[in-house]
Amino acid sequence: MSIRRILAALAALAALAAAFAAPPAAAQAYPAKPVRLVIPFPPGGATDIFGRVLAQRLSEIVGQQVVVENRPGAGGTIGSELAAKAAPDGYTILLATTSTHSIGPALNPKMPYDAKRDFAPVAHLADATNILIASPSLPVANLRELIAHARANPGRLNYASSGNGTIVHLTGEQFKAATGTFVVHIPYKGTALAVPDLISGQIAFIFDNIASALPHIKGGKVKTLGISALKRSPLVPDIPTMDEAGLKGFESNTYFGVFAPAGTPPPVIQRLNTDINRALAAADFRERLAALGAEPVGGPPEQLARVVERDTVKYAAVIKRAGIKPD
Amino acid sequence: MDAFNTLVANLGIGFGVAFTFQNLIYCFVGCLLGTLIGVLPGIGPIATIAMLLPATYALPPVAALIMLAGIYYGAQYGGSTTAILVNLPGESSSVVTMLDGYQMARKGRAGVALSTAALGSFIAGCVGTLILAAFAAPLAELAFKFGPAEYFSLMVLGLIGAVVLASGSLIKAIGMIILGLLLGLVGTDVNTGVSRFAFGIPELSDGIGFISVAMGVFGFAEIISNVDMKGARETFTNKITNLFPRWKDIKECLPAILRGTGIGSLLGILPGGGALLAAFASYTIEKKLAKNPDPPFGQGQIRGVAGPESANNAGAQTSFIPLLTLGIPPNAVMALMVGAMTIHNIQPGPQVMTSNPQLFWGMIASMWLGNLMLVILNLPLIGMWVQLLKVPYRILYPAILMFCCIGVFSVNNNSFDVLITVLFGVLGIVFLRFGCEAAPLLLGFILGPMMEENLRRAMLLSRGDPSVFLTRPLSLTMLLMALAMVVIISLPAISKKREETFQEEAG
Repeated sequence: MSIRRILAALAALAALAAAFAAPPAAAQAYPAKPVRLVIPFPPGGATDIFGRVLAQRLSEIVGQQVVVENRPGAGGTIGSELAAKAAPDGYTILLATTSTHSIGPALNPKMPYDAKRDFAPVAHLADATNILIASPSLPVANLRELIAHARANPGRLNYASSGNGTIVHLTGEQFKAATGTFVVHIPYKGTALAVPDLISGQIAFIFDNIASALPHIKGGKVKTLGISALKRSPLVPDIPTMDEAGLKGFESNTYFGVFAPAGTPPPVIQRLNTDINRALAAADFRERLAALGAEPVGGPPEQLARVVERDTVKYAAVIKRAGIKPD
Repeated sequence: MDAFNTLVANLGIGFGVAFTFQNLIYCFVGCLLGTLIGVLPGIGPIATIAMLLPATYALPPVAALIMLAGIYYGAQYGGSTTAILVNLPGESSSVVTMLDGYQMARKGRAGVALSTAALGSFIAGCVGTLILAAFAAPLAELAFKFGPAEYFSLMVLGLIGAVVLASGSLIKAIGMIILGLLLGLVGTDVNTGVSRFAFGIPELSDGIGFISVAMGVFGFAEIISNVDMKGARETFTNKITNLFPRWKDIKECLPAILRGTGIGSLLGILPGGGALLAAFASYTIEKKLAKNPDPPFGQGQIRGVAGPESANNAGAQTSFIPLLTLGIPPNAVMALMVGAMTIHNIQPGPQVMTSNPQLFWGMIASMWLGNLMLVILNLPLIGMWVQLLKVPYRILYPAILMFCCIGVFSVNNNSFDVLITVLFGVLGIVFLRFGCEAAPLLLGFILGPMMEENLRRAMLLSRGDPSVFLTRPLSLTMLLMALAMVVIISLPAISKKREETFQEEAG
């Protein structure tokens, strides 16, 4: 049995005891009992690691245990639905991403939750950037040459993604739209599986997550043509942004944000927002995020609302243009 | 020489990892558990690994895999103890050991039979580990030449191999593989994002949980059907004396051990092969080679213990090669190891060696250590294992079932998974009643989605031209090998022979 789970169970028991022993919650300052942070992805992935670091920091700042609960499944839908339907009292919050709150709703009209109506944004935690890596056998040295090469060979190159409708896929489609090229999409179950085919030359390029591409970059096995953020990444400071390299304004990030169920009292949201921003200010927290290829963001709840809205519109357009459908 | 130096350096890394206190402990726990379940009749390594998968989730990946591997080869050792002393197969590959091992015990030579089995297993384990270490790196290099077309053809070969080499009825094996393939189709299609056969249940949109299937058809089903088992058997648990074989015995069984090791190593690598087949093959060969054996085979011939025991252990060791180098499981236990690696976010395949060298070489080094531990563990502790055979099943089995349920639940914190497991448990009992092996089902379940993905990916890359499978030389070779297997098995003389072999030995 996992120690983590036993601890979680103990914390839940403690919460139960506290709920019975304490006077009605309304009379008490929030938070009066442990807060549950739902992570809609399995342990070990980037979202889980961010969530665990955040929970640890928040527990110290808030003075109450923040308990991580992994509810993976269906691309984040199961955990997000759980949080959407939880009591709006601030004791259940969700760490969500572009895929659960912008791409999912744009891709699938039959989602069991409404990303805008069922959630109240709390804080924009971080942005993670993708990096454009290309096959060593591809006869290009930079982004301009790749674009020219793709234009000269319409329909003959392939790019890989980590699955249909993932951010890696949509970034590729966004790239095709921005450059007016036609490159064939080959989905894999994760970019790690596609890298051998990239090295052998069957795949021309991938927009991979920086952290997962880093070993191949350091091993010199792939070409790096640019990162899909407007600012260079401290993890790979020598690699230009795609904006610098000739594709003006090209940006594709994954956001990580904390959400509460809609109807959560504004003072509670304000309190959580302040605490998360304080956690983000700590140097070691920022370092942990940076090591995973993410840039800390922070700011008021409205910042998160803006990003969600912007990306929902953006990816809905990409999805529509590329004709990606779930059915 | 260069390759040799790299090998030594790599094994150095490996032993560095395996020799940490924590990993030694997990290796020990794995071997101990493996022996334990190997000794208990009815619960095999597949069931145990399936049951313990969720528990390893809290461990670091290296420790988890070391422990699971320990269970696997530990079970090969433990199984022989039960076979020799009680005439029950502790796990399937020790069926062959029963033939002569039990007879030896009846003649008062139980100790010699046990130590021969342990010695043979140890030698085979060492050789198997060396082969694994030596061949893994070149094979992984080859793996980079593997594109989607090659993977698809290799999996075709693997599935056909699993059918041809299955120990029971051909038709049933094919049926189970197809059922496995179909079950593997449930969930979101990678290429289009369409949800298939999920019936609007969000939990099914990621597919049926691998742990649920494995634990259901192996764990639940085997335990529940064991309730049927009648007790009361003649055992030789109190008559273990003279552990050490005579010089004459050693001279007689050493060639058998070496032959068994060779056969086992070879068959372990083949898809669909593994320990059971290796043991059968070794027994058949020993029987063919022996001229006027005294005592005859089936009446306590020591070579009938030494050969198969070495072969099943060597096969257990080398069946890690396809998994670690290509990411393709050659048998059901290795399919479970894929599940274990995936839980820890490691994609099995050639990149493991470069991206997780600590894990890769650590695991290989731990196998050798594990084999050593098993010899030390097994011989002095035989008395204790025998005691274990006396725990009443009415206490043992319900406890195991309950831990299984907790384990399944804890993977996703979702009770839906437990329900699915129970469903597969019931299905598993039905399969057992009809004499359908569940191992091909599991193999189909794992390989099916991989095959589909690679087929479609290869077709996408070739822009819809199916000739790509025949124009790429590696892919063509494997398809031809698969064809050859089908032809061989359908030749009347061979298919008759195959039936005879399995009936004679298993009967």
